[in-house]
Amino acid sequence: MAGARGKRGPGAAMADELYLENIDEFVTDHNRIVTYKWLSYTLGVHVNLAKQMLYDYVERKRKENSGAQLHVTYLVAGNLLQNGHVCHKVAVVREDKLEAMKSKLSTVASVHVYSIQKALLKDSSPLYNTDYDIVKTNLQHCSKFSAICCAAAVPRTPPDAPRVPAPAQSTQGQRDPDAAGVVNGHGPPAAKPPPQQHGGIMGMFAAKAAAKPQGTPKEAKAEAKEAPGVSAASSKPPIKNNIMNNFFGKAAMNKLKASSVPEQPKEEKEAVKPSVAVAEPESSPNTAAEKPGKKTESARIQQKDKKSKTKRADRSDDEDERDPESVKKRRKRIKQLQSDSSDEEADVPLSPTPEEERAPSPPPVSALKTELEPASTEVSAAGRKRKRKRVLKSKMFIDEEEGCMVTEKVYESESCTDSEDEFPKPKAPAPHKQPVLPTKREPKEERKNLKKGAAPANRANKQVSIMGFFQKK
Amino acid sequence: MFSEQAAPTAQGLLAPPSAEPPTFPRVPVSGYSDCSQPFQLGERSFSRQYAHIYAVRLAGMRPGLEQRARSRWGNDIALRKLSELQAGEKCCVVGTLFKAMELQPSILQEISEEHNLVPQPPLPKYIQPSDELILEDELQRIKLEGAIDVQRLVTGTILAVYGSEQDDGRFLVEDHCFTDLPPPLPWNGPSSDRFVLLASGLGLGSVSGEALLSTQLLVDVVTGQLGAEGEQSCAAHITRVILAGNLLSQNTQSRDTINKAKYLTKKTQAASVEAVKMLDEILLQLCSSVPVDVMPGEFDPTNYTLPQQPLHRCMLPLAGAYATLHLVTNPYQANLDGVRFLGTSGQNISDIFKYSSMDDYLEILEWTLLAGHISPTAPDTLGCYPFYKSDPFILTECPHVYFCGNAPHFQSKLLQGKEGQRVLLVTVPDFSATQTACLINLRNLTCQPITFSTFGADGED
Repeated sequence: MAGARGKRGPGAAMADELYLENIDEFVTDHNRIVTYKWLSYTLGVHVNLAKQMLYDYVERKRKENSGAQLHVTYLVAGNLLQNGHVCHKVAVVREDKLEAMKSKLSTVASVHVYSIQKALLKDSSPLYNTDYDIVKTNLQHCSKFSAICCAAAVPRTPPDAPRVPAPAQSTQGQRDPDAAGVVNGHGPPAAKPPPQQHGGIMGMFAAKAAAKPQGTPKEAKAEAKEAPGVSAASSKPPIKNNIMNNFFGKAAMNKLKASSVPEQPKEEKEAVKPSVAVAEPESSPNTAAEKPGKKTESARIQQKDKKSKTKRADRSDDEDERDPESVKKRRKRIKQLQSDSSDEEADVPLSPTPEEERAPSPPPVSALKTELEPASTEVSAAGRKRKRKRVLKSKMFIDEEEGCMVTEKVYESESCTDSEDEFPKPKAPAPHKQPVLPTKREPKEERKNLKKGAAPANRANKQVSIMGFFQKK
Repeated sequence: MFSEQAAPTAQGLLAPPSAEPPTFPRVPVSGYSDCSQPFQLGERSFSRQYAHIYAVRLAGMRPGLEQRARSRWGNDIALRKLSELQAGEKCCVVGTLFKAMELQPSILQEISEEHNLVPQPPLPKYIQPSDELILEDELQRIKLEGAIDVQRLVTGTILAVYGSEQDDGRFLVEDHCFTDLPPPLPWNGPSSDRFVLLASGLGLGSVSGEALLSTQLLVDVVTGQLGAEGEQSCAAHITRVILAGNLLSQNTQSRDTINKAKYLTKKTQAASVEAVKMLDEILLQLCSSVPVDVMPGEFDPTNYTLPQQPLHRCMLPLAGAYATLHLVTNPYQANLDGVRFLGTSGQNISDIFKYSSMDDYLEILEWTLLAGHISPTAPDTLGCYPFYKSDPFILTECPHVYFCGNAPHFQSKLLQGKEGQRVLLVTVPDFSATQTACLINLRNLTCQPITFSTFGADGED
């Protein structure tokens, strides 16, 4: 015995025993399917060594205990005459079919153990799943234990440094990337690729994925995910905020935060309640931060007047983003007078309070808040040339969890110089929405509401003309 | 090819662990250059009519055809344009073929209200005995009859016909010819065994999972995880992998948002998102071990019209980090180790299949080579970009390996030309259906299929 092992040295003897025990533990105790690849990654050995280990284990176990419950699958490869060609066949076969397969092949190129398991496998999908899982967790060095190494396979150098460093604001409700709000019924995606730390657009994804998960509740995230960038953003969790921030950089962040803060008291007044807000006090500064797209819009409409504010008091149930937006716009003007440095401080202390105050407010309103708005702005803008019109727009944002860009079509207020018929819209949808609200708490329903609200709103629009005449007075 | 070399050590791993197992370095690519520039579109403008393609196609192929006609029917034949035809005179005319097919789907008919027609369901073949061939040149067109196989030919082919005009205004064809094989390229192939793996139709995202293990086995063979030492060392000679289209399955194409009610499809994500993630992982495993060229196909997220542009790198964040991943156009042309490859993801061949009586993909592939054009049916029945300066699908040089992806079976043939051309024609089978890929040996232009199988519930291979 010693002679046979001589060349391996004394230390190796210990290692030998160890792997046998390991395999025994995996197969018998944990009842695992041990494929060569799984063993190779788990023990950190070359794939060929893993194959030999498996073979050794099988041989020994069978010698000790011929009745051992052990099923083995083999990999056979070789030449086979098929359809007139000599094709190279690679097959995974169960032990009982091994000899049959070998005899079919004219030349056998390789045979080795593929996997060991306690139970007899009906089909090969468990083998695939085992390998899939272990490769998934080792994607970074999937060729480490392989028998071929490629010198050319080096990661590309990123052409530029990551565009925006991961925002460090702890106040941002970073969505936990793994706590999947469920989209399309897929749970936390096992298939999600691990975040890559590369530059450019990769950097953005990496920044997002690497962000610390805050203790945001699941529905908050789900809601955030669903939120169409537009109105929803006002009361929605800040996830969008982060992504958009990355797009627009730090400078925009400050502005957003500034606008989000004034928005909060405003929203409060209007009894706008994001259902999420309840759960996320810390995310307040980020909530209500509109999409940057909206921001630019609002930036244009700086002249949003105090009149809108008073009028807004009438529409208590009117959540539309437009209102927060005008608030934001108004505040933005004021804020700009202050220095930038004061913005941050002002933002942070302000935010928790409105959040808390908002929290207890009745939930149903949240559902409403989505875009329906149109009218209030128009009314407020009565007398001026600019109007806000509801327009179906596509919003693009990066979906944190999926790591991909999502485009959503959403109704959004847009300023236009067309001054007609807008105002009845808020009035008409408002009464419609009231009864509907109590049932809709779920974030997923928001968009539905949005669409539903939009429909009556649009219909209401048509009859506006005569009322518009009065309103303008 | 693998088996003979690998056979001696086939059973080597059926043994207790012994010495430290060897690791084989991948044979490096000695020369690679991408020649697909004609297929890469920069700024695209669709405000042009498609007639320009035919005009440049005819202008581009006319000189070659006239030369071929002279060499075939004599130097003194009369080469006429259609406008110069005289009744009864034997002459040769070069022009574009148009096949008038009754069953050809026509969007105008579909939307015509006066017909009140239900749109025609897609048929496997649209040919009918009543189809007619018409030859068009720059100014006129004329009906063809005679020694010409109407069923076999398709619209858009440029050919030369020899015959005479009849009294009834039709052209009686006595003989016809195509441009035949393009001029050969010099051979600079490697002197030792180097393999290129061609696979197509991975079909990720389909509902059935059987092909997944086979795909994993394919990746494992190429990356050197599977097999005994001999096989692994042979696999180290695979210098490149080309994935010829249809990486995603047709199932990912369904758009529920069109058919289903809005409340059912809110917040659903397209099936292709999940499939592309799977693709990314598979490509990552491949790219960490071998250079990969990825061609888009019919069901892949890129543009529809030919030439299809490369997939965007942002869809593949993991694999895109490696320099070994090359995202290329469809059709794809490149010099690998001195061997010129040209191939498509199969849309051109399957489109000709639909409108011609030819049934065999390999036969169609060979015919396109002889006709001198990769895809004559574009833009008539196959979407195509409205080129106007030149038609990039005209074959000007004869490739050494000419392949098409997503064929129903594997077939290959070595074609020898009169001017010393040697072309290996390969129809790469659809992997999700056949679990077969192709290994091409660059040294001697041979091709071997490689099949993967697993055991299913019924327990056969």
